[in-house]
Amino acid sequence: MCFKMRYSYIIENVMENENTHTIFFDADFNALPGQFIMVWVPGYGEIPLSLSCTGKPKAITIKAYNEPGMKLINYKKGDKLFYRGPYGNHFSLVDGKKLIIAAGSGIASMHPLIDDNSIIIESLKRASDIIFEKELKGRAIFTTDDGTLGIKGHVIDALKNVNLNDFDMIYVCGPELMMKSVFDFLKDKNVRAEFSLEREMKCAVGICDSCSVSGIQLCTEGPVFTN
Amino acid sequence: MDVSCNVSSIKLKNPLILASGILDENGYTMKKIIESGASAVVTKSIGIEERKGFETPVIYEEYPYFINAIGLSNPGIDAFASEMNILKGYNVIGSIFGTGPEDFSYLAMKMQEYGAIAVELNLSCPHVKGFGLEIGSDPDLVESIVSEVKSKVRIPVFAKLSPNTHDIIEEAKAARKADALVLINTLKAMKIDINARMPVLSNIYGGLSGKSIKPVGVRYVYEVSKEMNIPVIGVGGIESYEDVIEYIMAGASAVEIGTAIYRHGKGIFKEINNGILNFMKENKIESLSEIRGCALR
Repeated sequence: MCFKMRYSYIIENVMENENTHTIFFDADFNALPGQFIMVWVPGYGEIPLSLSCTGKPKAITIKAYNEPGMKLINYKKGDKLFYRGPYGNHFSLVDGKKLIIAAGSGIASMHPLIDDNSIIIESLKRASDIIFEKELKGRAIFTTDDGTLGIKGHVIDALKNVNLNDFDMIYVCGPELMMKSVFDFLKDKNVRAEFSLEREMKCAVGICDSCSVSGIQLCTEGPVFTN
Repeated sequence: MDVSCNVSSIKLKNPLILASGILDENGYTMKKIIESGASAVVTKSIGIEERKGFETPVIYEEYPYFINAIGLSNPGIDAFASEMNILKGYNVIGSIFGTGPEDFSYLAMKMQEYGAIAVELNLSCPHVKGFGLEIGSDPDLVESIVSEVKSKVRIPVFAKLSPNTHDIIEEAKAARKADALVLINTLKAMKIDINARMPVLSNIYGGLSGKSIKPVGVRYVYEVSKEMNIPVIGVGGIESYEDVIEYIMAGASAVEIGTAIYRHGKGIFKEINNGILNFMKENKIESLSEIRGCALR
């Protein structure tokens, strides 16, 4: 339960799109899909990042929109990645068919769940925002705001055409508005679904109250919640 | 058996209070803590204006201690009204910080208006320039802040003092007009990561809390209780019922628990309460007042 700051060596830095990179690092801790680590970029800050690969090697996928993120995407093979964790709960693992619903980089935390038994609905602003292209192609239904890839529209436009009874579990991660729309859509349907929430996190150990929602600490009691 | 206690005019069902700075910025979170067995909660320290706090990293953890430099992040006293509203009817002690007597008395009046059962003056935050420690180490300023606040509010006034001082008795005497003293705040500390070759906290310095500081807290409570006749609330490193008993034997009327929540969760209040009851039963203690200060020599 106590996680000292430590480091691992970076094995590879893969550019996913213009400002999103996946960094693979050599670490032997145990982690499950949905969990996150606090990554420290010395001199620039510390940010929570979901593990986009939970096996060996592990990986984080960073969309660079703040200073630590921008530094991080320039890390090279052999650099030290400082972090603490893993923290938080995880997605339930099921044997059956899985529906993964994501918007933008929300797919990162669910990337470890993708296999031959999963269908993905991925919502993007435009075609060039795609990440994990190799894994998604052939398994994903895309929606884009501008219609440059797949259906022009939002996740619900794709979700409407899916037979929900085919799936044993639905996983959702993305901006809160998108998750709310999925939550509402699924409300009167008899399905199992899990949502991974995002909030600003500072301590990650359930004491600073910065990620609390209705008295629940996302960092320790979440980030994954069931419908 | 009776685990209730009095701190000045406040009667508490048990001596276990949530310490300031831990899970206490959000009304619903504080409500949960009280429902988990704490007899009262102390809010995060609230100032006049909103403060974002320091850039991350703001904490460093390594059992049995914790170093934090959150940087007095808070929504400001006006915005905090909505959180206090959620807590109507609950025992909430409003922690406040400011630069001088005017700030503190204004904030105290607001807390009173919001329904706080007491105010706790944060005279001792060790890591924010211009607040806390810099105030706490000036006895004249401490005295004028306490006097000013006391003259403005009806609710009890607690003064939280710093261990980062050369003479705790001088500091405690400067705050003697308070209804109780809260001892101790965190100890100024830092962590250097030898692999990154730099301090971990963005602010460099932070406040040390957790099990490591308990012997220091007990010593301060003991020393002040021995010298002065004033209620003391003990804080620092409490993780078990044994720790609470130790503080009470050193003279504490009640205690505050904070950092331990990260290892033990919110259930710690009930756990410790049960531990105290068992200890009292085994040792045929009817009321905590029988052992309060019993170790003082």
